[in-house]
Amino acid sequence: MFRPVKLTRVTIQTPEEHIAEVMAIMGDLRLMHLIRVEDTPLGHMGYVAHVNTELLGRYDALLIRVNNLLEALQVSSQPPVISQTPRPDKLIFRLEEECTTIEKDSLETLEKKQHLHSILGAHQALIARLQLLAPLEIEIERLFALRYTTFQVGLIPEENFQRLQTSLDGIQHSLIPVNNKEGRIILLAMALKEDEAILLRALKSAFWDPLELSTSLQGTIPSILAKLSTEKQEEEKGLADLEAQCKKLAVQFGGKLLLLREELLLARQLLLAQEKFGQIDHTYLLSGWLPKTLFKELQQRVMAACAGEAIIEQVDPAHVKEVRSGILSIPILFNNPALIRPFERLTTLYGTPTYEEVEPTGFLAITFLLLFGMMFGDVGHGAVLCVLGYIIFKKIYRYIDYGIILMECGLSASVFGLLYGSIFGLENIIPALWMHPMENINYFMTVAAAIGVAMISTGLILNLINIVRQHRYQELFSASGLAGALLYWLLAALGVRYFLVGPPTPFEIAVAKVSSGLLFTLMILQRPARLLLTRRSQHKKGPLLLQGMGITFLESLIDVLDELLRYLANTVSFVRIAAFALAHAGLFLAVFTLADMIQHAHGHGFFYWLTLLIGNVIIIGLEGLVVSIQTVRLEYYEFFSKFFRGGGKPFQPLFEKKRTPESTHNHN
Amino acid sequence: MLPAAAKYGYLNAKVRALRSRKLTQEDHHFLLAAKDLPACLSYLATTSYSSCLPEFEQEAPELRFLERQLARPLLTDYAKVIRSLRGAKQQEVILALFRRFEAENLKILLRAQFAHLTREAVSHLLYPIAHISRLPWETLWACTSIQQCIDHLPPDIFGRSLQNALPQFDAQGRLFPLEMALDFSCFHLLWEAIYGLGKSYNRTVSKNIIALYIDILNTLWVIRLKIEYQLPAEEIVNYTIPGGNIISLTCLNSLARVQDITMFINLLPHSFHQQLSEIKDWGNIDRSLEAYFLHYLARVFSGQPFHIGIAVAYLLEKEIELSNLITLLQMKALNFTIKESLARLSWQLQENGYVPAS
Repeated sequence: MFRPVKLTRVTIQTPEEHIAEVMAIMGDLRLMHLIRVEDTPLGHMGYVAHVNTELLGRYDALLIRVNNLLEALQVSSQPPVISQTPRPDKLIFRLEEECTTIEKDSLETLEKKQHLHSILGAHQALIARLQLLAPLEIEIERLFALRYTTFQVGLIPEENFQRLQTSLDGIQHSLIPVNNKEGRIILLAMALKEDEAILLRALKSAFWDPLELSTSLQGTIPSILAKLSTEKQEEEKGLADLEAQCKKLAVQFGGKLLLLREELLLARQLLLAQEKFGQIDHTYLLSGWLPKTLFKELQQRVMAACAGEAIIEQVDPAHVKEVRSGILSIPILFNNPALIRPFERLTTLYGTPTYEEVEPTGFLAITFLLLFGMMFGDVGHGAVLCVLGYIIFKKIYRYIDYGIILMECGLSASVFGLLYGSIFGLENIIPALWMHPMENINYFMTVAAAIGVAMISTGLILNLINIVRQHRYQELFSASGLAGALLYWLLAALGVRYFLVGPPTPFEIAVAKVSSGLLFTLMILQRPARLLLTRRSQHKKGPLLLQGMGITFLESLIDVLDELLRYLANTVSFVRIAAFALAHAGLFLAVFTLADMIQHAHGHGFFYWLTLLIGNVIIIGLEGLVVSIQTVRLEYYEFFSKFFRGGGKPFQPLFEKKRTPESTHNHN
Repeated sequence: MLPAAAKYGYLNAKVRALRSRKLTQEDHHFLLAAKDLPACLSYLATTSYSSCLPEFEQEAPELRFLERQLARPLLTDYAKVIRSLRGAKQQEVILALFRRFEAENLKILLRAQFAHLTREAVSHLLYPIAHISRLPWETLWACTSIQQCIDHLPPDIFGRSLQNALPQFDAQGRLFPLEMALDFSCFHLLWEAIYGLGKSYNRTVSKNIIALYIDILNTLWVIRLKIEYQLPAEEIVNYTIPGGNIISLTCLNSLARVQDITMFINLLPHSFHQQLSEIKDWGNIDRSLEAYFLHYLARVFSGQPFHIGIAVAYLLEKEIELSNLITLLQMKALNFTIKESLARLSWQLQENGYVPAS
């Protein structure tokens, strides 16, 4: 849990004819972080990336067809999970055939539906236009039959009507307003055939929106409308039948189409991964990071698929030349149980740990829940958070991680609620298993400071582990290393002694003074001493005291003082746990007082409970947000800053494993 | 009078203070006398326009990047005038006047969409109106089509007019209907705001100013559409703005149909005749009408001072000053002589010329 998954560097060399099988195997294993061969020294040896663009084009075209079918049939269920990845070059033939079969069975119905849909749309538009002209009790065909007169029907903005009339002053014309619609006039404009161009120009410049009428329309407008309505009803019936057929098709082919799309996407991703492969003549080279536990399986499957013609090697990260020289960094694959995994988001928000560092998510999760629970301790509020988290977990797939965090925080708050004896701020329903915060303020603050000492100490220990793992031994004597940690623990021990037993004895004070003095001197001197040693190791001659050594001493002194002050500030910062827990209880007090006042004013119990309800909602929302922010702050600034450097690279698997509420991943 | 003084006293003081910062005759003289564009800009940097000029040590900035920035003082004055007004209805009048600049920026946005240009490519053509404008510009610029832009506009006069003009835009395949719709809606809004003032001296003064402004604008549009665009009369009339006071629709219709400039001037109302009596060329009418309008605006300041018309008059006056300044800078960039420049400006330099101190 506290270390990332152990990885190994894998290199596969395979003849061209087997590359598709190797790709399929990688698709099955999924957990391979490919390295672009062109970017490694092998790239300089002539290995170049080659993507099969022709095949990719076929996949893209097929994907469009499948997506069109899915859209037309309105299929929208969960996509299936594919367990086996076939060869992309072979797969395309099957997928194309399956898609064609589905198209053959469904396209006719779909096209009929689309056609009928467009006819219905056109009819609806015509009906809407004719309804506007309904007050014009005239037979349309008589208008079309006029020999010497031209006519136009359309809409113009009301304010343009007068100007239109003026602009047509020079010709014989007639403008007949028929109807009004949303500030526009429906107008029948008529002029002599010879003035048609002038009429059209004037209409156009008056923002004319013509209503197109067909010469095929016969009879008066009401009779045409009646006829069109009957036709429309028939079309709607036909459309309903076709929609029912489409639903049947969706049931029949929906699952198959979704599977098709998933296979297409998987194969497409495999093809795109070729960009990271290296090719020279007829040989392919693949290189990447794989969980150590999967190597045997990969080796067996690749060798079997390539009939022993492939070469597959693994190198331990410690022996990879590029890693040692710092050119390549080992990606980090988190390895946390399901309940802790959502907290990886908070860790990566701060930084991605390096492969050698302690993976801090486990510590983060435990301390986060502890701090949140202490600050937000209430059984009722915790239960509300739990329910909210569960709703998010079940309903909003995108935020599933936050749902889990919220549920866990709610649980923690409930546990502390039991310890504080508080349910929705009522402290007289259940007995406090530990204490009521408002009645034990000093004690609570001491506990909070003790938690601070414990968390900072944990951070210091983790830092020592990181120093050893990363061979940064020179930092052991610095204020942030072992020397600083010892000084911190010495002072913390004195503090604990003072609070638990009483003032330290003169002897203890003397020992503490001498030890502190020695550690302090060591911390100040370590940097100048290191500089001198480095100079000596480089066989440089000259005076013992280098130029600028005074400044180095001064810098070292300031650094040490700064670091020690920070220890103190970080520890005191944890007192906020008690402060926010008290604020939580204090808010309840305010809500209850307000509820009492309102009850007295209105003399009605309803308002009392209403105030309590609103108050609780506000406390959950506001205080929940504040406590979350404070917890994150303590984690990042007080805890992580002691040991976590980050700068690592996240593991990018060839395919993201599908995460469903039912499935979790644990790579152990 | 006393209630009006209480209501518009501060506005009057504010507007007069702002008016004192307009370019003086001395400024006109030195701007005209500048030997080239950099010299002209150097002098301009000593005036109230200095805040919108970038610092330049070697080369003068390109004028096209400067033109819209020069409007900054005017637009700041709009904000100041709006803040000086107490009533919402009075503020609406100034806001309606301001919305012409919003409409100009909307036109640029639509043109950019139409020509597939990015916001950066046309940013120099936009008026800096962010501090007053209420339109969701970020959303509008994020749109990918004209239809989408119009859909995202609030359903006020701009949104409605553009929606109504969309069928013409689709049918004609050009932006002209949309641009005209914006222009019309600006003045529609202005009239709505002015009529919202109720029957008062305020309304009369504002109405007269805006009506004259529209009359002059319509006359100039008729000339431009007729001479430059060669449009037929039946179209021209439909492109004029309703709301003029002394030039009727029938008169505009007649103006659109005459070809001779003397007949054109004779058809105009008598009040214009003295100003236009010596005009022989279509190109000179605009500066004469502008000068006529400036005289009219100047008269607003000499009467009863406590009304909103004083703010309307100042803002239009300042707008004309800006337009003349830009023309002058353009002429300096093209190395026009002082005489050539004078012929294209409406400043009355010869009449009220600056006399240098001896």
